[in-house]
This record gives sequence, C-alpha cells and structure tokens, in this order.
Amino acid sequence: MSRLLHDMNPSVKFIIVTVSMLTMAFFFNPWTPLLFWIGILILQMTMSRINWKLWALMMLPFTLGAVGYLWTTLVFGADTGGEVIGSFAGIEVTDQQWAHAWSLTFRVLAFSTLSLLFAFTTNPVTFVMSLMQQLKVPPKIAYGTMVGYQFLPVLKDELTQIRQAQRLRGVGQDRHWWHRITGTRRLLIPMLAGAVRKAERAAFAMEARGFTGERRMEFYRPIKVSGRDYVLAGVFLVVLALSCAGGIVLGK
Amino acid sequence: MLKSWKLKEIVLMSLFGVVFGIVYLVAIHFGNIWAGLIGPIAYEWMFGIWFIVSILSMAIIRKPGAAVLPETIAAIIEVMLGNAVGPRLILSGVIQGLGAEAAFAATRYRHFNLAVMMLAGAGAAVFSFVYGYFVSGYAALDPSFVLLMFTLRLLSGAIIAGIGGKYLADGLLATGALRGYAISRTKQGGAGA
Repeated sequence: MSRLLHDMNPSVKFIIVTVSMLTMAFFFNPWTPLLFWIGILILQMTMSRINWKLWALMMLPFTLGAVGYLWTTLVFGADTGGEVIGSFAGIEVTDQQWAHAWSLTFRVLAFSTLSLLFAFTTNPVTFVMSLMQQLKVPPKIAYGTMVGYQFLPVLKDELTQIRQAQRLRGVGQDRHWWHRITGTRRLLIPMLAGAVRKAERAAFAMEARGFTGERRMEFYRPIKVSGRDYVLAGVFLVVLALSCAGGIVLGK
Repeated sequence: MLKSWKLKEIVLMSLFGVVFGIVYLVAIHFGNIWAGLIGPIAYEWMFGIWFIVSILSMAIIRKPGAAVLPETIAAIIEVMLGNAVGPRLILSGVIQGLGAEAAFAATRYRHFNLAVMMLAGAGAAVFSFVYGYFVSGYAALDPSFVLLMFTLRLLSGAIIAGIGGKYLADGLLATGALRGYAISRTKQGGAGA
C-alpha cells in the first residue's frame, strides 16, 4: 500500500481529473465508463490509504442517484431506433436505450469515484496553495478563499447561535418543510450581515500585516511538480485511453 | 481586472460562499434521498440556490467579475470541504458564474433591478444547462423530457436566484451592514441606477 496519490501535486491531479471527466462525456457506450470506473477503483486501492467505510458512506447517495439515472434514461430515453429488446409496464426498451441507460449510470459512478479519489487524497490547504503556485490563481483570490475556509467553523457556530436565539424568542418552530424554506431568510440575513462584518475585519487585519495581494516568486511553503507527478498523470491517461479503446471495441 | 478589487470585497465573496455552502447543506437534508430516487430531474427546481451567490455579490459590489468570482470561490471552497461532487464543481462554478455575468455585462453593469437579476439567474441556468447537457449526457434522453428539465431550471434560476438574490440584497442593505459597498452609494438604495 503506498500513498502515491496523497503526495501527488494537487493541481496536476485536478487537471487530470477534470480532463478525464470531460473525455468521458463523449462516450455513450456502457463499457467505457464501466472500465474507467474499475480502473479508478484499482488506482484508489493500490495507490492510496483511505477510510473505506467513510468512502462507502459517501458513495451511497451517488449510487442512489445512479439508479435514478438508470430508470430515467430507460423511461424517458431518446428515441434512437434499434431493436426492441423488452417491455415493462407498456414501456418498450430498445437495445440502444438499454446501452445508453447503463452508460449514464456507470458515468455517474465513475464520476463520483473520481471525485472521491480527489477529495480523499487531497489536503484542502495544499490544494489552494498549489492553485496559486502552479495555476497562477491570483494571491488575493487564493488567500481570500482560505479565509472563507478557515471561517467555516465560526459561521457554523453562528448559525446554531442564531437558531437558538430565535427559538428562545419563540420564532423558528418550523413544523413543515415549506416553513423551513420560507424561514431561511430569517437565518440568512443575520448570517450574511455577520459575514460582511467578519470579511471587513479579516481583510483589514491582513492588510495591516502587509498583505498586498501582489504576485510573488517565492513562497513560505513551496509546492513543486516533480517527475513522479508526470508519471502518475501518465498512469491516469493510460487508464483513460484503455477504457476509451476498450469501450469502442466492446461496444460494437 | 483584480487591480480595482479591494481585499475586503474578495473576502466578502468568499465568506458568502461559505454561508451558502452551509445553508445548502441544511436545505439539502430533506431532499437528498428522494432526489436520488427520482433521478436527475429532482435537482432541477432547486438549481437556483447555486446561482444566488453570484447575483447577491453583484448586487452589492457592482464591478465586472462580481458574478463569476464569487461562484468560482464558492466552488473552490466546496471542493476544499471535501464535497463529493468533486473538482469538476469548480468548472461548473465558473460556467454558471459566466452565465450570470453575461446578463450584467449585456446591461453594461448599469442596471441592477429585479428584471436584470432575474435575467442573470436565467443566464446562469442556460449556461449550466448547456454544460450539464454535455457532461451528464442529456443527449440520451427524450427531447421533451430535456425541455421539461430545462424549463424547470430556467424558472428556478429566475425565481430562486433572481428574486431571491434581490430579496436578500435588499434585506441585507436594510441592516446597514453594507456601508462602504457600491450598493449603498446609489441614491435609490438597491433599486438600481
């Protein structure tokens, strides 16, 4: 078991993951996404060390979503011709629709697995620092994003506080879900007003400590792209190419 | 483009991204499972929630880029939080933001009334749908079903993001927290130029 994926440069990983997803979008045969899904699973198993229980938990909603895709495509599939291979409850399914439906289902699974691969093996702070150093995202945006990220626990606490304060005064007893929807304004306005004030204070504090937002050549924690990143990117591309080729061969 | 941006405006957008990230998590609780079972169409009516941050930020900051940037930052933050939709969220964030930005750019960043904001919500819906059509393979679905999904998303963008964004911007202006931002400098308040 290695930790290769954990050590991969986040920007390289990000580009590879995005390229793979966009490539998948061109294929409507069931084999390409299926092969790619299996390939990603193998990469995840051999090159990373993750909590698989948590992984399975996070995959669950996507698996349900994939089932949703399956029957939506079967019932509302485009009429593309082909032989009718079966019917259920008056809906005739052609072989084309059958293939498309499974293709979209496996696509959802492949996408979610790829996303989880990224999420489970990438440190968020390193990711943003890498975006700034490798992909030239302006420091103002990179550090601005970091501020937001660091404020998350504070804002979460604030939400609880606002809710408790409102409950204390007898508001916020939402019995129905539509009350919850209309009631979000009551929560959002104080949250956003608090965010405005926090943003001002944080920005002022940053500028007072000499943050100008100018691009620099040197960083406190440099994040580099090494030869290993190119090799790993190559491995991903090979998996992608093989599943595309495999899909074309098997799809005939 | 970033030269004219103050740091506080960027941090503001970032914090807005976080707030909507949290609210979205709260709101999603009751919709998650059935959304999975109903299929892709279940998400359409609530797509506007994702566009609000663009429209709200643009209403407050009123600079070119004030729709694309917050949507992008919000997407980066959601990816940082380990959102399971993954890194492609950043790409869709940029695309949605561009859709909203297009509407404001078409009016040369001079009007920020309800109609323009609804247009921006609709613009974000159109851009995100075109992208979704490609990435999620809607081409395999029946055109009339795709049209239904598109209509739902368009309405969601115009109503939830457009009207909702305007409503929130006005509510926030009334709290007095927005002194020092472009929205407070216009005479009619949030009513637009």
